[in-house]
Amino acid sequence: MSMILSSLILVPLIGAIIALVMGGAREAYAKYVAIGFSAITLIIAALLMFGMFGDFEDLSEGFVWIETSTFIMNYALSVDGLSILMVFLTALLCLLVNVFSLDEHRENNNYFYALIMAMEVGLMGVYMAADYFLFYIMWEVTLIPMYFMISWYGGPRRHYSAIKFFIYTHVASLVMLIGIFAMGYEAAGSTGIVDFSFEAIKNGIASVAVDTQALIFALLFFGFMVKMPSVPFHTWLPDAHTEAPTEGSVLLAGVMLKMGSYGIIRICIEALPDAAEYWQWVIIAIALISIIYGAYGCIAQTDLKKMVAFSSISHMGMVMLGIGCLSDAGITFAVFQMFAHGLITAMLFMVCGMTGHKVGTREIPLLGGLAGKMPIYATFMMIAFMASLGLPGLVGFWGEFPVIMAFYEFILENDVVWMLLFCMLSLMLTAGYYLWAMQRTLFGPETTKIDLNKAHDVGHFEFAVLLVLAILVALFGVWPDAALQFLDPYVDALMGVI
Amino acid sequence: MVDNIITSIFGDLTPLAAMIFLLVGALIMPGLQMFVKKHTVTWVVALVFVILAFITDAILLTSEVEMSYLGVKLNTYTTLMSMLFLIVVFLVVLVSNVSTEVTKSHAGAYYSLLFGATLGMLFVASSSSLLTIFVGVELTSISSYALVALKRKDGRASEAAVKYAIIGGMSTALTLYGISMIYGLTGTLAINELALYVAANEFTWMFGIGIICMIAGYGFKIAAVPFHMWAPDVYEGAATPVSMFLATGSKKMGLAVFIQVFLAMFILSATVGDIFGLTVQYIFAVIAAITMTVGNVVAIAQSNIKRMLAYSSIAQAGYILIILAVMTPQAEAAGIFHMFTHVFMKGGAFLIVGGLICAGIGEKISDYRGLAKRAPFLAAAMMLFLFSLAGIPPLAGFTSKFFLFASAVGTPGEADGTWIWLAFVAILNSAISLYYYARVVKAMYIEKGESTEKIAIPRIFTIAIVICLVFVVVLGVYPDLLYGFCEDATAFLF
Repeated sequence: MSMILSSLILVPLIGAIIALVMGGAREAYAKYVAIGFSAITLIIAALLMFGMFGDFEDLSEGFVWIETSTFIMNYALSVDGLSILMVFLTALLCLLVNVFSLDEHRENNNYFYALIMAMEVGLMGVYMAADYFLFYIMWEVTLIPMYFMISWYGGPRRHYSAIKFFIYTHVASLVMLIGIFAMGYEAAGSTGIVDFSFEAIKNGIASVAVDTQALIFALLFFGFMVKMPSVPFHTWLPDAHTEAPTEGSVLLAGVMLKMGSYGIIRICIEALPDAAEYWQWVIIAIALISIIYGAYGCIAQTDLKKMVAFSSISHMGMVMLGIGCLSDAGITFAVFQMFAHGLITAMLFMVCGMTGHKVGTREIPLLGGLAGKMPIYATFMMIAFMASLGLPGLVGFWGEFPVIMAFYEFILENDVVWMLLFCMLSLMLTAGYYLWAMQRTLFGPETTKIDLNKAHDVGHFEFAVLLVLAILVALFGVWPDAALQFLDPYVDALMGVI
Repeated sequence: MVDNIITSIFGDLTPLAAMIFLLVGALIMPGLQMFVKKHTVTWVVALVFVILAFITDAILLTSEVEMSYLGVKLNTYTTLMSMLFLIVVFLVVLVSNVSTEVTKSHAGAYYSLLFGATLGMLFVASSSSLLTIFVGVELTSISSYALVALKRKDGRASEAAVKYAIIGGMSTALTLYGISMIYGLTGTLAINELALYVAANEFTWMFGIGIICMIAGYGFKIAAVPFHMWAPDVYEGAATPVSMFLATGSKKMGLAVFIQVFLAMFILSATVGDIFGLTVQYIFAVIAAITMTVGNVVAIAQSNIKRMLAYSSIAQAGYILIILAVMTPQAEAAGIFHMFTHVFMKGGAFLIVGGLICAGIGEKISDYRGLAKRAPFLAAAMMLFLFSLAGIPPLAGFTSKFFLFASAVGTPGEADGTWIWLAFVAILNSAISLYYYARVVKAMYIEKGESTEKIAIPRIFTIAIVICLVFVVVLGVYPDLLYGFCEDATAFLF
């Protein structure tokens, strides 16, 4: 049995354990361990993506893990066009985050890196799992390190935010768990044995009544929706982001939120397509509300990181909108938006998090005229903001506009043209809050409200990381096909089901 | 043949084999202590008896012997349950010699009582008549009252013992009253005959009241809400090893009674959807829901860690009561499995508390501040135990709760909607419980303590904690190790 997929979980796991035990005098070297192991993971992920191990779809591996008279749970991993992008993104961001944090010195550094690596384990597991039991375990595994990341290394209100994050997402995932039980039992049919593998459940559930499917869909969807997060269950996100350390924010927004949308596509849409049509309007409504509300929220924020957090809600709403269209273009570009948002938001949080360290505050009203003082910082901030608001030529463009086009198609089909107003509103708001924030932060006269003498520009490692991200943002902006080529076969197959 | 070793030694008495070891142990301990005067010797002898009894059961379990002697049964279920009780008493005895809370001059009496209580538990597990079960429960209860009172210099312990004895006495009276009503109506005390009676006859008020009295009486034993008020006081007042014994052992005995009496009595009528069976199911569903909710919600407000663990035990009993509402073999297997995982995770947590008391750390949650710096291993172990109790994967508590809650959602082929609300309540409760468990973790890892001095606890405690820890991890990742036996055991109840 090939171990390539498992190695993507094992390598970070070993890294996490080594980093964890490097207490005391060896603490300072934990970061190199983390960088080394996450680099190996990235190399494996990249080789996998570019087909160096043969076609990655043939690499599924697994064995029966727990077998009782009623349950079969498997350790099963597989990768397809949808997951490979997320796996690559996870590996990339984990390495970049490790490098980014090199300049930072904190107490108990080794725990910090162990947490990052542990999170990578969980994320990889979620994106590759082909069994509901494994999927759920990995889903929960991502939760614990993030909780500690916020509550140990976060800002002043970190305890409140950490516990809020924990309870919101934990309750949601427990509801999801009930959905998984129900789905398993229904899918088992007359066999009397619940096999939790994706394949078995997908085959079994197809013959179940649509009403039952719709109920199960609702349970699962709730779990994923809180994670994404969608309005009205979004309130944990701004708090978590404001208090989390930059590295935590990057991983949280960059790859953890994607777990929600990934789950919707992988489980809700793939296994329960009829129920998806049943709830289609609800999905669209939630998506639109999230987009508009998130964008409005951004305007009101004074903290840079909180603003970016709200923009994440808005952008993840865009992902949901694409999914809600249930069309080829809609889902393809929803996934692309997930990928694009992962890259952009990593940059955004790095830049905004840096503001706190370099300048001393992230409060927009206190800032101003930073461009003159910190030109490199300002450049990256502009790139990130522009990419996020969907400037053509950068990766964000390919995330947003095709989704809106797919939605337009949906609107025409259903004869509800007035809904286009929402999209226009969201575009206007997005451009508005970014440009306004940029103007207040970077341009204009230098601020006198805070002491800028100590402000310094980006460090070497931070520069390198941001440069890599900026290059990728531009690369995928002019050559989106590099990512889309993986998606086409997957979405084509999915459309066959829907 | 391995089974022949035991069966050839004990012959017809094989079903009593493990009990004989305990009985002999209980009888010689006080004399031994009087003559030898060294409590370590008593301790070693006690340990030997427990291990012998355990090995006997382990051999019987693997060789699947099935027999019966004077109504005392021996099958997979009885051996599995008695192994559970022996694991508990093993862990308790293991740390008793070094625990500063156990009065050493009374070591003989202490071990004797401990063995007496365990003997009662084993007796309950292998009985199939209301009367023998009653006798076993009484043996355990009366020994436990004395065990609690044995920490003599502490006023709280005396208060706890008196409270425990009064409430215990009342529950005994209730139970006996219920049993007498049922006997008067049916003329039998054998549970399988009662099950046939229930399935064949219409509901009568007399029988109903008898059942309610028994539920209330045994409800006290497992501290089901609203019969739970004694538990936190007793757990707080007793020496920590004794608290652990009560929380993990006595409570499991109560649950075993529930399984053997009520589940066995009503499963027949529940499967055919009889109104009587259904009513009892609903009663248990409500008790389960209330028990877990009250246990978890009140636990949030506790500042004493032993009280917190007591309330969390109440909540855990609520989870296990789900099986009496669902009444399927699958649920029962999950329930037995959860009892085992609960022994290790709750036992482990109590062991840490006990060990820290020996090292001079108080029982308040605020005393645990900065523990991660002072005792990294203990803090990590405590975190794992608490997370396991909360049901975080991939620990044992998660796996057993997974099976348990899954059984409430339905059976293969049908996600039966009847008890799905109970699964929701249970799952919400898991989330609530996380809050107060996380509070302890927060105190240990995040908050700064007044002292940064390293803590050393007796090495025996560390060994016991490691044993629990290993099982909490192994049963989480590889439940097949035990779950198969749990499934086999269910066959012997129906």
